[in-house]
Amino acid sequence: MRIPYFPGCTLYTKARNLDNSTRASLGALGVELAELPQWTCCGTVFPLAQDNYMGMVAAARILANAAKEGDGRLVTVCSFCYNVLKRVNYAIKNNPEAKNKLNTYLEENYAGETRLLHPLEVIRDEVGWERIKSKAGENLKGLKVACYYGCLLTRPAQEMAFGDPENPTVMEELVCALGAEPTVFPHKTKCCGSYQLLNSSELVLSRVREILCSAAAHGAQAIITSCPLCQFNLDWAQEKIEQNDPGFTKIPVLYFTQLLGAALALPAQNLGLEQHYVDPRPLFTGM
Amino acid sequence: MTTDLASKMGQELSGKILEISGQNPHLCMQCGTCSASCTGIDLMDLLPRQVMRLIQLGNARALACRSIWICSTCLLCTARCPRGIDIARLMEALRVINLRKGNEVLAPEKIPVDLIKEVPQMALTSGFRKLSA
Ligand code: SF4
Ligand code: SF4
Repeated sequence: MRIPYFPGCTLYTKARNLDNSTRASLGALGVELAELPQWTCCGTVFPLAQDNYMGMVAAARILANAAKEGDGRLVTVCSFCYNVLKRVNYAIKNNPEAKNKLNTYLEENYAGETRLLHPLEVIRDEVGWERIKSKAGENLKGLKVACYYGCLLTRPAQEMAFGDPENPTVMEELVCALGAEPTVFPHKTKCCGSYQLLNSSELVLSRVREILCSAAAHGAQAIITSCPLCQFNLDWAQEKIEQNDPGFTKIPVLYFTQLLGAALALPAQNLGLEQHYVDPRPLFTGM
Repeated sequence: MTTDLASKMGQELSGKILEISGQNPHLCMQCGTCSASCTGIDLMDLLPRQVMRLIQLGNARALACRSIWICSTCLLCTARCPRGIDIARLMEALRVINLRKGNEVLAPEKIPVDLIKEVPQMALTSGFRKLSA
């Protein structure tokens, strides 16, 4: 199965390990991600001002180009890309003014027909948990994993249609299928502080501390996410938190695709586990 | 300022906020659910509920508060508001009115160099889109 794929800028630079582990693990499950021949930055954030159509142009162009590839599906894994592409697609489908303005500007005739999918949806709906179960070895047996969704995968609920906006379960289903154990995790859809890192790192440090402590309190040995900014904030902050709180225990923060890759026993160079602040390698014997 | 002038300015501000956000602030019943849910609350000067009240009153203090720049657009308030208000869009309208006048909070030179070198690219793009003019 071949599906058009939009990696996004961060996956070409700082989050190469998310790109590599996504391509490799989906590849091992029989899904070939075919990168779009041309693409730009998605714009990262959906404009919440109604009159800001310029903030939608980049995403609209990507969606319109994707509609000309493959069977109209498009996969993207970064939570920022997924959120902005999905919301812009929704706007084009449901808001005639957005559709007209964007099409006029781009000289396209796009009506929102691209079906945007997250790899979590692809592996659930196209591959299926049973197949994943049969392919995953015993590598992850007993590993306790907290699934962190953050803000962007599920909100706003109507537009994202990714499960309950504060209690999605698809990552937990994946963790079960991989033979590991999802923990209870009340902070799974809280915000890590996001781009406030640049403006108020204090905010990020305190939000991240709460999220990590909640995960630890529920027994998590690892946290998984699909967002390079959540991954960075949760991972980078730990050393700083530890400096002020010697009792703090560090927890590795991985992409769900790295966990999937580890369960499928993919070669280490596809996973990029060495690129983290808190080293996740001790979690996996023999890696 | 005479009461007349103040209320005219208030109407102008309310009109602008409505145009940019598409949200009706008068639906707000001041329950405080948004404040209780908010990611940035401990660093804000006004609670989201208080910002909502100022918007209802057309009070320009809403434009000058720190809270709008601490908001991380997490949409928790929006997900939980029992009156169905998209509060994040109202916060964005207050930012956008400032940004269009050139009032911004995030300037590249304010970000520590060590951090710029480390952060994922999307942090820069999203941060500048939300917080700089
Ligand atoms: S949650 Fe909604 S109704 Fe309650 S104070 Fe906030 S904006 Fe008003
Ligand atoms: S969107 Fe902004 S105001 Fe609303 S809960 Fe999140 S940080 Fe607070």
